[in-house]
Formats: sequence, C-alpha cells, structure tokens
Amino acid sequence: MTGRHIALRGINKRFGALTANDDVDLDIASGACLALLGENGAGKSTLMKVLYGITHADSGTISIDGVQQNFRGPFEAMAAGIGMVFQQFSLAPALTVQENLLLASPTAPWLHVPGSRALTAVLEVLARLAPDIDPRSRVADLAVGERQLIELAKVLNLNARTIILDEPTSVLTPTETKRLYGFIETLVADGAAVIMITHKLADVEACADHTAIMHRGRMVHAGPSADLSRQQMVELMIGTASPATADRPSAPASTTPRVIVRKLAADTETSSVANIDLEVCAGELLGIAGVVGNGQTVLADALVGLHPLRGGDVIVDGHSVAWTPKPRIPDGRVAYVPEQPVHNAVVPDLDLSANLGMRSILQRRFWQFSRQQQDADARALLESADVRPPEPMRKAGTLSGGNLQKLVLGRELAGAPSLIVACYPTMGLDVAATRAVYRNLFEHLDRGAAIIWISEELDDLLDYAHRIAVLHGGRIVGVRDWASASRAEIGDLMLLGALPQCA
Amino acid sequence: MDEAAWILVAGWVAAILRSATPLLFVTLGETLSQRVGIINLGIEGEMLAGACFGFAVAATTGSPTLGLLAGGGAGLLLSSVHAGLCVGLGANQFGSGLAVWMIGLGITSFFGRSFVGAQVDAAGSIGGSWLEGMPVLAQLLDNLSWTAPLAFLTIAVAAAMLYRTRPGLAWRTVGEAPDAARAAGLSVARIQVSGVLVAGFLAGLGGAVLSVDYTQTWAQEMTKGRGLVAVGLVIVARWNPWLVPPVVLAFGAAEAAVLRLQAGGLEVSSHLLAILPYVVALAVVIAAYIFSHRDGGMPQGLKGVFAARS
Repeated sequence: MTGRHIALRGINKRFGALTANDDVDLDIASGACLALLGENGAGKSTLMKVLYGITHADSGTISIDGVQQNFRGPFEAMAAGIGMVFQQFSLAPALTVQENLLLASPTAPWLHVPGSRALTAVLEVLARLAPDIDPRSRVADLAVGERQLIELAKVLNLNARTIILDEPTSVLTPTETKRLYGFIETLVADGAAVIMITHKLADVEACADHTAIMHRGRMVHAGPSADLSRQQMVELMIGTASPATADRPSAPASTTPRVIVRKLAADTETSSVANIDLEVCAGELLGIAGVVGNGQTVLADALVGLHPLRGGDVIVDGHSVAWTPKPRIPDGRVAYVPEQPVHNAVVPDLDLSANLGMRSILQRRFWQFSRQQQDADARALLESADVRPPEPMRKAGTLSGGNLQKLVLGRELAGAPSLIVACYPTMGLDVAATRAVYRNLFEHLDRGAAIIWISEELDDLLDYAHRIAVLHGGRIVGVRDWASASRAEIGDLMLLGALPQCA
Repeated sequence: MDEAAWILVAGWVAAILRSATPLLFVTLGETLSQRVGIINLGIEGEMLAGACFGFAVAATTGSPTLGLLAGGGAGLLLSSVHAGLCVGLGANQFGSGLAVWMIGLGITSFFGRSFVGAQVDAAGSIGGSWLEGMPVLAQLLDNLSWTAPLAFLTIAVAAAMLYRTRPGLAWRTVGEAPDAARAAGLSVARIQVSGVLVAGFLAGLGGAVLSVDYTQTWAQEMTKGRGLVAVGLVIVARWNPWLVPPVVLAFGAAEAAVLRLQAGGLEVSSHLLAILPYVVALAVVIAAYIFSHRDGGMPQGLKGVFAARS
C-alpha cells in the first residue's frame, strides 16, 4: 500500500459567477503530510470536496497510481481509501460514542452483544487517539475537540489511506492540537497520506512535509514545506493588490471620537472577544481585518447590543448602546448590516413590503398600522435604494444577493444612524453590486456616520478603510493607519497574531 | 394471605392483563414509529381497522388466529397511507395522521355494519389440565389467551432489536439524527417507512385482539380513543419499549381501579372517575420532566415535526 500517488490535474470548478478552482494541479504522496494553505474562500475545501466525490469538477481529472478515477459520490471515494473529516460533524448527538462508531463501521456485526470482541474492535483506534473518552458517554456530552477525534476514528475505521482533515485544529484546545499532530505523525509513519486544510502556519510547521498554497481559486505554490519561510507563505496566501472598484472615501473631517468602545468583552459557546478598545470618528471608516472565526460575529453582535457584554461598554454620541436585559426598541442610533443577510436580516418567505416595515412596526401602536401606508413607504424605499425589481409584493427570498443587500442597507440606514456596523457586506456579490454597497456606505460617511466594517477581503480594506484594526484570537492585535499600513504587516498580524521578531 | 385471597388477586391480574393486551401492542407500535421520527396519530384509525377486519375474518373463517393476522394486515395497509403521505410526499405528520384516523373511522363504520352481533371464538387459553394442583396459577392462566404472552414477547424482541442489533441502531439514528444517518449511508426514507408499517401492523393486531379476543364483539368506534391514549403513553414510557409494559399496566390498573370504585358504590360521578387514569399519566409525565432529562428521552428528530424544516 505504500508509495501510492494521487494526482489532480487541471481541476476547474465554478459556482455561478465565482471561480472556486481555476485549473488546479495537486500531487498527493503517501507517507507524507500535505498542508493545503489559503485564506477563506481560496478554494481549498472545494478542491478537497472534488477529490472526495462530494463536488464534481467542471473539468479536470483525478488519478490514483496512474489510473483515472471518476468518483460519483463519497462512498466510491471511501472505497478507494479516501476519507474526509469535516468541520461540521456528522455524528448523532443523542447516541453514545460506541454507537456512532458502530454505525459507521461496515464490519460491525448484526447482533450487538454488549462487551463482545466485535463491538470493542471499533473502539481500538479511538482508544489510541483519545484514551480518556468513555465510549459509553453520549456524544452530546462531549467537547467539540473530542467529537472531532471520534469523526477521525470513524474515518480510520474505514481503513482510509488518504485522510483529508478540514481545518482540524480550528476547534481544538492546545493540548488536543498537540495530540492530533502526534497522531498525524503516526499515520504518516504508517504510510498514510494526510491532507490538512488550514490557514494556520503553526499547523504547517508542526507536521506538514509538503505545502500547497491556494489564492483566489488558483494554486500559487506547491513544494516541500522547508522551501518557504513564514514570510513567503503569508505573502503567497494574501496575494498582491488588485485594482480598486471605487474611490477611497475622503478623510474624516473631525478627529473627535463619535463611537467609543471600552474594554469590551463578550462570549458565546464557541468564541469570545476580550479587551476590545476602539474609537471611531464621524466620517471615519474603521476596517476590522482577520481570518474568519477569530470572534468577528460575536464582536459585531456585541457592538450593536444584540449580545450581552461580559465587560466594558459601547458608547455612541455619549449614550451606551450595549446589551440590556430589557428588550428595547432600537432608537436608530446604531445600524447593523449582519453577515449572510438572507438568514440574518430578512424573512425570506415574507414580501418586501413586510420586510421593509419591520423596523417601523416596532415603533407603532397596533391601531396605527396601515398596510397601504406600509406598501407606499416600501415602494419609496425600494425606488431610492434601487432594489430590482421594485415590487413590494415579491418575496424577499427571490431577490438576488446584491438586491437583497441593497434592501437591507436601505432599511437599516434609513434613520441616519450614527454608527453602522457592517459584517462582510459584499460577500458573494458581483462587482456591480459590490460597488453599489460601497457607494451607499460611503454616502453615510460623508453625512458623518462612523462605520465599523468587518471584512476578510484585505485588498478592499486596504483600498477604502481609513484605519485597519486586526482581530486575532478574539483580541485586537494591532491598528494601522491606511497611509502606513502594509499588506505584509497586516497579513502577519492576521495569521500569526503578532509581527515576526526579526523582519 | 391465604390461598383464596391469592386466587382473587390472580383473577384481578388476569383481568388487567386481558384488558391491557391490545394497548400493549398499540403503544409498542407507536413507540417504534416515533423512534424513527414519525408521529402517527392515525394509529387510532389503524387500530379500528384491525378491530373491524380482524373481527370480520375471524367471524367468517372461525379462526381467531387468521382474524388477528388479518387485523394486523389491515392496520399495515392503512398505515401505508400515512407512510406515503409523510415520508413520500413530506406531508405534515399531524394532518396526515388525522386523515388516516378519519379514513379508518369511516371505512370501518361502513363495512363493519354487517358484522355487528356476529359470533367469534376467542384465542385459545394458555391454561389447562397441567395446572391441576396450582389453583392460583390456574386462575391466572385459565383466564389468559396466548395473546398476552405474545405481547410481552413482541415487546422483548422489539426492544432487543432496537438496542442490540445493527438495524436497531440504524432505526435509532434515523430518529435521533436523520442527517447523520444519511451521512452514514442509510436510507432514511426506507427506515421511516418500515417503522410506520411495523407500527401499523402492531396497531391493527392490537385492535384485532380487542375485538376478537377481549370483547368478542364488534361495535362502531369501539376503540374509543385508545390509539390516542397510546400516543400519550409513548411519552410516559419515554420512547423506550422496555417501559411500555409497566406504563400500560399501570394505566390498565388505574382503569380497573375506577371500575372497582364504582362497583363499591363510591358517590362520585363516573365521568370524573373516568379521568383518573389520565391524571395518573399526566402525573408521570410531570414527574419525568422534573426528575430527569427535560426532553424525557424524545428522539431529537421529532423536534423537526414541530418546527418548519429549512
């Protein structure tokens, strides 16, 4: 089984207007660990889903030891010895660890005699991976890192010789990460091929023999990990500048802070932010750069008062807007453009008129409600926000992404807010829609609004933001003025959380 | 206690078991259906269909065994409507269940008319001459047919299947986490259809036991909501087949107690007394809620029935 060689050649994959994989070549050798590096959206996961048979490439070939393969689904890939552990697990939480492993094991017996040899066989890999997990405990009671190890044990029970791990360390504690590295080494020593999709350079240094780097759907580098310095990896991942789609907004007129964030701290079950200090002036666009999953969502929710703070405060125009236990009617001081507007900002099954009326409906008594008035307001708002088609009776879910975002911006920004928090506002939009979103936001800057803009598009941040703060591990690790910001420096902060000691 | 008192107790136990046997089958069926994630309110109609057609076949052929099998078959046939609507077409489970109930009610009222007043033989008793010299056991077994032991055997087999075999694990996974089941390569639809059909067979069998073996008569709407009681008892039994017998027997004992209280001349409205078994069931649900898992062991997949699926 040693010496197996998987070759991907000329893989192309498009999703609508987005090119996820653009003529990608990749070689996977057994007995080695390959790190597939890249930013979010670089096309790493798509490429591996093509290999695993979940996604079908538009063109390109996969061959194993020179024999061309055409996987119709994951089961054929599994039969060829390829296994994949996803970020989202496919475990049944209400069942026990052992039951989950039995379910996935093709060799499990028909009759489950408690304590029998056949039942304990499925636990052997897990016992080596994580000896302290009780196989009788329910998966729902386990930590996320432990669940990942169970997923890994499931794949290994299938005798996978090529193991794809999708961002495996993003959910693990440092101890668990170390154990995973050790286990990858064991697998590699046994002759398996391990592919680790990651954006963490620490993962590469810990166990990757080879590194392949993707940027915007293209393979920009592939070779032994030792060939590249950290610096070079960061540069390849971040890429070089692309032409701007709009003009940079003019510098803020005042330097007096309009929005003050003091020692903000907030937690969710999966992420937390702490010690966030920010000041934003009227007319200033503050960009928050960072790799997805470093606390962006909880930070945005906490800033606009949707998530309780553990400490600190958010002050806009001298008033605190932080979360209060008593629900309050938004006073229009803060506007929020959440990520994934189709899920977080509209009711897709309601018409545009109802979606646009959601803000005002809270401020009216029920006898003041008038459907005619709401429709008339909606029509006016649709015209001014340039939503196409401007039909108040159309369901929100049928709008294109760009028009949906225009609708959300039109509704949220109608009250001349002082602070606008925008989370990935242009994600998934085409160039024209992106330009429209920027133009709309920049008009509010000219009016004197302060904008906090959370983005993972470093190019866009460098092109438009007045200042860029970098979020890493739930903390602001650096703030740079646009004039002095360098792509390399911000890339280092995003990926490493600090600047290298010697440049 | 002397022997006479024990014989009296044995008589009561036999009476409770006889009256509880139909409900044992029906509750087990509903438990299995819900374990694969399908709530089946149509179980009332399936039970009626089993009672009606089981009785008709037993009366026509003179064989109670054939009658019981026909009852199971009628329940299975009717449940295939529910399976087709819920699993095949993704219809609302409550709506489909109510429709199946009404279909069962209508069909049995129509076809059952000619069998009102017909005669059937009960299933054979499991007592006999071998019990001579053991009057207590004789009192118990002479009054029981083989349907009661069959019910307990079926429950044991179903529970062993569910918790101790690979198909059982597949069924539980489908009910708890349909997405994980799909990822493991299981056909969720096929397993759910199987669960609903097995439940339909058991409900029909329970209905036939009621008409052929227990009352030995057919009357329109004779199940009187027992199928719906089974839906409630599934919750009390925490979706666990092993808990079906104690829960159903406790319910049956409460019902028997009501009859005895009335016979004893208790000056309370019979309508009020009749709610006693349901009060007991409610108390058990509340106790289970307070003392154990909040969801009371409900299969997680059932939550999707109450909320819109995306």
